[in-house]
This record gives sequence, C-alpha cells and structure tokens, in this order.
Amino acid sequence: MNTAIGIVGASYYLPPKRKAVTDIFRDEQIPAEPLAANVDFQRDIGIEAVHMASEETATSLALNACRSVLEKTATDPAEIDLIIDFTSIPEEYVAPTWSAAGIVQKEIGAPHAFATAVNTGGCASYHTTLKVVCSLMAAHDRYRTALLFAGDKVPEFNHTYYPITVICDGGSAVILKKGHERQRILSVEVATLGKLHDVWYIPGFHRRDPADKDRKWLHMTADIPKFNQEVIPMNLFMFRKVMRGALSLAGRKQQEVAYYIYPTFSTWDQKAFCQAFMVAPEKVFTDGLQRHGHLQETDMVLDYVDAIDEGHIKEGDLVMLTTNGAGFSWGAALIQH
Amino acid sequence: MTRFSSELRDIFNMETQVGIAAAAVTLPVRKRVVGSLFQEESATLKPGIGARLGIEEVPICNGESASTMALATCQEALRRAELDVAQLDVIVDYSILPQEYLVPAWNMSNKLQHELGAKKAFTVGFSGGGATNFLVALGSAAAMLQANEKLTSALLVAADVTIPGNRILNPSDPVSVLGDAAGAMVLKKGVKGSVVIDTELHSDGSYHDVCYIPGGALAHPDDPALYRMELDKKRFDKAPKSETLKATLETLLERAGVKRADVVFGLYPNLSADDQQQFADAMGFSPGQIDTDNRKSHGHLQGTDFVVNYLSMIESGTVDKGQYFVAASHGMGFLAGVSLLEL
Repeated sequence: MNTAIGIVGASYYLPPKRKAVTDIFRDEQIPAEPLAANVDFQRDIGIEAVHMASEETATSLALNACRSVLEKTATDPAEIDLIIDFTSIPEEYVAPTWSAAGIVQKEIGAPHAFATAVNTGGCASYHTTLKVVCSLMAAHDRYRTALLFAGDKVPEFNHTYYPITVICDGGSAVILKKGHERQRILSVEVATLGKLHDVWYIPGFHRRDPADKDRKWLHMTADIPKFNQEVIPMNLFMFRKVMRGALSLAGRKQQEVAYYIYPTFSTWDQKAFCQAFMVAPEKVFTDGLQRHGHLQETDMVLDYVDAIDEGHIKEGDLVMLTTNGAGFSWGAALIQH
Repeated sequence: MTRFSSELRDIFNMETQVGIAAAAVTLPVRKRVVGSLFQEESATLKPGIGARLGIEEVPICNGESASTMALATCQEALRRAELDVAQLDVIVDYSILPQEYLVPAWNMSNKLQHELGAKKAFTVGFSGGGATNFLVALGSAAAMLQANEKLTSALLVAADVTIPGNRILNPSDPVSVLGDAAGAMVLKKGVKGSVVIDTELHSDGSYHDVCYIPGGALAHPDDPALYRMELDKKRFDKAPKSETLKATLETLLERAGVKRADVVFGLYPNLSADDQQQFADAMGFSPGQIDTDNRKSHGHLQGTDFVVNYLSMIESGTVDKGQYFVAASHGMGFLAGVSLLEL
C-alpha cells in the first residue's frame, strides 16, 4: 500500500467472567489421549482460562471495543466513512442476510458511514478486511476514516476447537486513517485454498437434527481427517507464501521484521511457527495464550494491542501480523511503527 | 473513471479502467405462478396486491443447490469474458440468503474457488444490505483492482435459494415474491465497455433489522418459526428510501461530473411494480429507462436482479456505446447504493 494508511488505534474488550480450561475440557468431554507422541492436547495447550460472555451479546462485546477505540483515539464517530464487521463466527442473526455493522453504526452514531461486513477468511478475516478497506481508501478520496470491528461469542459447550485450541469470547476494534504515517500499513497479502473450504464449518439451522438438544448445528465442526491430511502439510507453506508476498509488496526482507503477531492457538503451534521460520520466540507475542486462549480473528488485534502496551513493539519497528483461518485461508500484513 | 487525487493517480497508475467483461445468470428451469405460491403460504392474492407486486411467476429450484447454480453461471461468465480461470485474481460473493453452511464461518466463494480451479485467486464475501450487497461487491472489487497493481480480474458471484415456505415477503401485506437464481459478473482492468466509474454507498444503522432472519443464530437459535426472512413493513414504508437514493445519486453524479440528463438507463431490483415505479418517479426515469419485464417473469432474485437486468439491457440495445447508466438499490431502507457506469 503506497498510500499512507495507518492504524490510529486499536482496542479490545473481554467479558469479566472466566472459566478454567480444565472445566471446559470436562464439560465438553474432550478426549484425554495424546494427539501425538510428544503432544498431549489437554496438558500442553498452554491456556489456563478463557473469558465467557454470559448475558452479553456478540454485538455488545464488539460495541464495547468500538467505544473504547473511539475514546482512545479521540475519533468523532461523525468522521467515520466506513464501518466493517470482520467477525468470523455467527452473530445474533443469520448471515449473509444480516451483520452487526448496522447496529454498531446506530449505537456509536456514525451518520456518514456505510456499514457492511466481510464474511470470509475465518481467523484471517482481519487481513481480508484490511485488503478490502485499504483498497477502498486508496482508490477513493472520500474514504478517509474506517472502523473495523469484530465480536465473538461462541455457543455454550463449543469453546474447544479440538485438536487446535480453546476459544475465548471478546470483541475488538481498529481505527484506520488515510494520511496517518505512524503504524502505517505497508502491505497486506491474503491467500485461500478453496479445496479446504469444508475442513471447519458450522452446519446451520437448516441442517439441524430436531432431536439435537445441544444445538450442535451452531457448533464449529471439524473434519479432522481432512485437517490432518490436507491442512497440516500445507499450513507452513501457505504462511511462507503470504509473508513473502507481504514482504515483497513492501520491498522489505524478513530480517527487517522486528516483531510478529501470531495467533494464540497452542504452545506447540507457536513453537512450530518459530522453528519453521527461524524466528526467536521473544520476537513473537505469546503471552496472550495463557491469559485468554484464542479469540478467532480478534487474536490479531488483541495481541497487537498488548504487545504495544507491554513494550514489545517500539517506534521504528517493522511488525508482521500473520495468521491462518478456518483451514483454508492465510493472511499477512506489514505494519511500520 | 473515479477521480483520484493526483498523488494516488501517480502512485497507483489508476488510469486503468475497470469494466464488466461479461455476465451470466443461471435460472432453475422450473417456474411457479405466484397464485399457487400465495395459496401454499396461506397469503391472499387480492387484485390490488397482484397489481402492486407485478410478479406473475418465479423460478424455483428443484433439487439444484445454490453452489451448483453458482458454478454453472461462473463458468459461463468466465467463458464469455474469455478469461482463463487460472488467471482470476479474486472471487467476491454477494449472496444474501443463507448458504450451504452457516456464514461467516463458511462461504460459498471458497467452494467455487476449488470447483472452478481458480488456484491463484483469493476470496471475499460481504453480508447485509439486501440487493445492495451487489453494489458493495461491485464497488469493492473495482477498488481492489484499481488499488492493487497485481490484481487484474475479479469474479462477482451470488446464488440465492429461498428458505422453503418463505417466498412471499411479508405475507400479511406482501412486498415481493422471491425466486431462486445465481448470477456472475467478470470485471477486468482495461475493459472498454461497461466501465465502472464510481459507486456511492450510504447506510442508516437504525434500519439494520428491517429485513432479516430472526432465528437460527445466537439470538433465537431454536425456533423454526423464526427461521425465515421477515420484513418490518411499517419501518420499511417509513424509511426514506427514494429520498436517500436520490441524494446518493446526486452525490455520485456531482463527484463524477455527469449530468442527470446524461444517465439514460437505471438498473434496479425487481422487488415489485410499486417499488420500481417509486424509484422511476423519484429519479425521473421514464418507462423504458428501467427494465420491468424481468420482474414479471422472475420476481425478486436479490442482487442477481442486477445481473438479469444488465443482460437484458445489453441485449435490448437501449443504451448506446459511451452512454451512462446507473445501478441503484435502497437495500430495504438500510443500505442505499448507486453505481455509475458507462457502456
């Protein structure tokens, strides 16, 4: 992105209630046997507890994050030109007919915006959205300020995405501005492998078994054999592809990347990433894993905010935000601090 | 061509135009007359309602899935555009009705990427806004091609299959009759016809739930009676749809430096005869400047209405090379959009 589009600020919101993963594993009847010779899912996941929304809705989680980022960045909602929801799991009402973007527009009072949702990419939906929003802002003078947000509330007893991670509820929000030279988005690269479209999916109401009292039709469902046979062998290759793509677009080299924001799935996943790309563990934000586990697409925002607040990212640093999403999608974005 | 700042023009070499290279539609062979659908859904088709709707029959799937129709229509659009699918850069889904699995965790565009063999492409989809979702896809895809030097082609696609028993929108006071269809458009850089000049979009968040499916997600997960498209007719009627569209059109034309009188045709959704007439009156289009035939034979096909009406407009020869036309939609009061194009 040659136009100066920068991240003015980012915020997140986590509901106060927490639940220990040991209790989650018990309640969700997660298998106790090891995943592999050296990986025991329950023992090695590295997550202590996750946040859970009780009465709060997915949209209210997002709204809390939106209000926080508006305050933090002193942004007048009347300035906002674009409101884009990048939530990657079901919200209050069925998509693609509906998204929370309209409620957010109404609640924050952003009369000049147009509100929509990007509904692809899984946990890489933040990158897909950055790609779309940066294109709109680069192509049109009139789009100068954008609010991106997500709100995730997983259904009861669906907090474990076995054999990957444990899910936390929460919301995130980001303000982008054209002409903002700090925290500048240098490039965004996304890639999708369509053949993996159905590795992770939620069946939906029309596929429900009327006898199912546990609402499994609303649960994230995995085709684990396909995941093992087709996603695992491609995963690091695709990470390499998008990160190289982002570096190439920005004319930068991997050695220049000072810090990485990577999803908080599990200890073994973070270790595999660091080993594969020869990245020192201290250059990747991993602290969030233990604190809250995985927050879908919000990982990219939450971990970025905490990494800045806790001093891991400094002025002048080149930061790589990279993630995979729902087995079929990968994204990488370079941010110049 | 969108008027970019001189800085952006220099940097991105955005003089390259983006235009519609080809379009295609797949309609189920089976059709039902609306009288029988009214009976089936316990709605009364009074003469006044029939005239207000102006819909005689709608295409209805008979076992075809949405993605099967979408695949066929994408293949046809790519063939007409003479575009090798291996060179396709982005697939944009503008469907508005529920898909094979629950969106946004799943999206049809990825299945299509696989089935088409579009190995280089990445996928994007948009939610909300009714038929205006097509204009969101059109405007966003054009921007992606303009702002990213390496991207040269986009495939816009939707496939909408109505929820069983939910074809009459608001049965107590019908607003439309929904048909099933898939539509696709191929956008390319450098195409000299049907150039996408600009798109103006504006939403009013207070109308986010005028038309939506209340059940089947987190708010009301269990109630089958709520798993259907519902319209809040009072708020729909109250929404300043024509006024907003008129203002949106004026903003767009002013920015593009085009006079209203130079716009010779309007592509508009086939929601109802009444709705189309309101649009024509508000925008000053005379009969013949919008297509009304497709409404009679297809009913409302969500965003695919635009593709159907675009193909009819091209086939009819109503618009000459170099003339302007618009695509406009009120998005059920929530999301108004107008695109300006030049044939």
